Amino acid sequence: MIQYLVILLDDTSVSFCHYGNAKKERRLMPLETLKAGILFGMKENLNIQFVYPAYALPEAYDAVIEGIDHVKIMPAATPEGADVLVMNGWKECESWTAGAGVSCVLRLPKAEWFGQAGRVAALLEKTERLNVVLTDVETFTEDDFKAYERSLAEVANLLEKAYMNGKTPQLNLLTDRMMLEQMNNCGAGDTNITLAPDGKFYVCPAFYQAAGGYAIGSLAEGLEIKNAQLYRLDHAPLCRHCDAYQCRRCIWLNRKATLEVNTPGHEQCVAAHLERNASRQLLLAIRKHGTFLPDKREIREIDYLDPFDVRKEW
Amino acid sequence: MEKIKETGRGWQSGMAKNITFIVTKDCQLACKYCYLVGKNSKERMPWEVAKQAIDYILDHESEMREESVIWDFIGGEPFLEIDLIDRICDYLKTEMFRRNHHWFNSYRFSFSTNGINYHTDKVQRFIQKNHDHLSIGITIDGTERKHDLNRIYKGDGRGSYADVVRNIPLWLEQFPHGGTKVTISSEDLPYIKESVLHLYGLGIHEVNINCVFEDVWKPGDDALFEEQLMQLADAIIDGGYYRDYACSFFSEHLGKPLDCVTQNQNWCGAGKMLAVDAEGNFYPCTRFAQYSLREKKAWIIGNIRDGIDKNKLRPFLLLDRCTQSPQQCIDCEVAEGCAWCQGENYDAADTPTIYQRATAICRMHKARVRANNYYWNKLFRKLELEDAREACEENHPKPNPLNC
Repeated sequence: MIQYLVILLDDTSVSFCHYGNAKKERRLMPLETLKAGILFGMKENLNIQFVYPAYALPEAYDAVIEGIDHVKIMPAATPEGADVLVMNGWKECESWTAGAGVSCVLRLPKAEWFGQAGRVAALLEKTERLNVVLTDVETFTEDDFKAYERSLAEVANLLEKAYMNGKTPQLNLLTDRMMLEQMNNCGAGDTNITLAPDGKFYVCPAFYQAAGGYAIGSLAEGLEIKNAQLYRLDHAPLCRHCDAYQCRRCIWLNRKATLEVNTPGHEQCVAAHLERNASRQLLLAIRKHGTFLPDKREIREIDYLDPFDVRKEW
Repeated sequence: MEKIKETGRGWQSGMAKNITFIVTKDCQLACKYCYLVGKNSKERMPWEVAKQAIDYILDHESEMREESVIWDFIGGEPFLEIDLIDRICDYLKTEMFRRNHHWFNSYRFSFSTNGINYHTDKVQRFIQKNHDHLSIGITIDGTERKHDLNRIYKGDGRGSYADVVRNIPLWLEQFPHGGTKVTISSEDLPYIKESVLHLYGLGIHEVNINCVFEDVWKPGDDALFEEQLMQLADAIIDGGYYRDYACSFFSEHLGKPLDCVTQNQNWCGAGKMLAVDAEGNFYPCTRFAQYSLREKKAWIIGNIRDGIDKNKLRPFLLLDRCTQSPQQCIDCEVAEGCAWCQGENYDAADTPTIYQRATAICRMHKARVRANNYYWNKLFRKLELEDAREACEENHPKPNPLNC
């Protein structure tokens, strides 16, 4: 069931996920389209998330946007009023100071993460929640998997210390799985859809801002998600058996890697399982110090990293 | 003892890797029901591409652990490239032996041919050289008028029956158990009974038939189909053909409901097979090459230079019946035996997916089930009256694995 409407205010609206925005030319959503999009969201009872470009919008837009309850996703260059702030690379983090209640998304390539993952400790001092998004996870090699495993162990160690000091920072890669007992994925095409400046709906921003996407209807003609079942977990033949509950299960990455929206590639699966296993170790480590999340089950030990490899056991 | 002829299962069925060389996209014919929309006379596989494909495949023995291999040659019409095929087969034999590959001594060369060039010296020399490792099927659709309805020469549009049927005796002499594959489209329906009996009359004991999966069916076709199959059932039973001849339309394993847990297998072998074309691109099945697709882009899983991208195969290897089926198929009370072609599913789907099952043959399947029920009820009663039912139960036919 669709619950969220992501509205891209401009073609250059910041990417807050795995995809890179290929659109470099500004194209502001027409005001009438914005109003119609908000009206659609209101009538469909959707939570609206506005995604901002790196420039100030005309005042008329602000007035329209403030007319509805919403979340603002903004780039680091224009952080004023953000609910979710997106930073690209460590450099954009240096001058950042979060307001209260602001979540942070840190997008960076693996080359910036490996060997520097410990730098998240400083960010977690400034925000209650940090989502780290590796922008090239689909290129992971066997060596990268090892480096990723090491980096997660290093960060888990930092988080353990923070929890021992009475802090409760949230880092998507490691703490989400500790809290989850069912899949909590990106939900593109299932729980959320995107409205682009062209007045058309898309499964997620990547299907508009990156190459090779397609629309799923428009404000003028209505929403039409063909093969909508394929975006649901029960029609994802691998993921419905999986317990890497924190996995983004990125629909766009699925399609890019395997040509199917319901099937993840090997790299996404292994990366998610390295996170899952590191979360397991973190949970065990924190519990050695005392009661922690007593209502949550242990994360069981498994002997695979890609559920595709054990598919015959289902 | 009364026996019922079983339809043949493929060589090493279920245990063999099927690897297809699309050696040419050319054919002498322009069959009206042919799914190959992109046939042409330009795309012929160069020897260098074939060799590189073989080297890649044999180099990756550890990833292809099937007990046996079927080296399949397809076109277009494969025998148009008999020189290339002969060279490929010689190289395969040499290389499998030289590498002590586990497929050496467990391989077949398989052909589905229109039969027109079957008698030529080059083809005959090839057959003599490789006879014990050959499976050759000649496609003949039945009577002359039925065959020539669809299987016509490109250009002048004349029927090809006469040029095919003259080679049937030679083929059956060399391959006495040879079976033929008949494809049924809407226009063929009135001729099903006469065509099957005609093929039996030519000495072909195994007739494998399927309705095309494409959306060609018109209102009333299902009733016509059912009537033809019932007439065929009467002819097979009353004429005693069931003892020595087989027709894949009739199977005991047909028309029951299926369970989504215990009977959830995919029908089609796409993804477990491998096809390579003249460009050196790999496909999960020939039906995913561009010349087979009307609406969608080719589903390329790699090439002979960069190898196979296993991510592109994952969706195929994860396919099950219920995930790709609409609710009407999941709830269907006669689901058993209802086939699908993964390539046609992909081509006909509303989005570029292999997870949307096409249902164009739904009413034809249901008609087949009704006629099939009639066949078995009539046959078993006849056998009971002749006190031959028990023997029949012991020898009851297996489902035909004919997929495409």
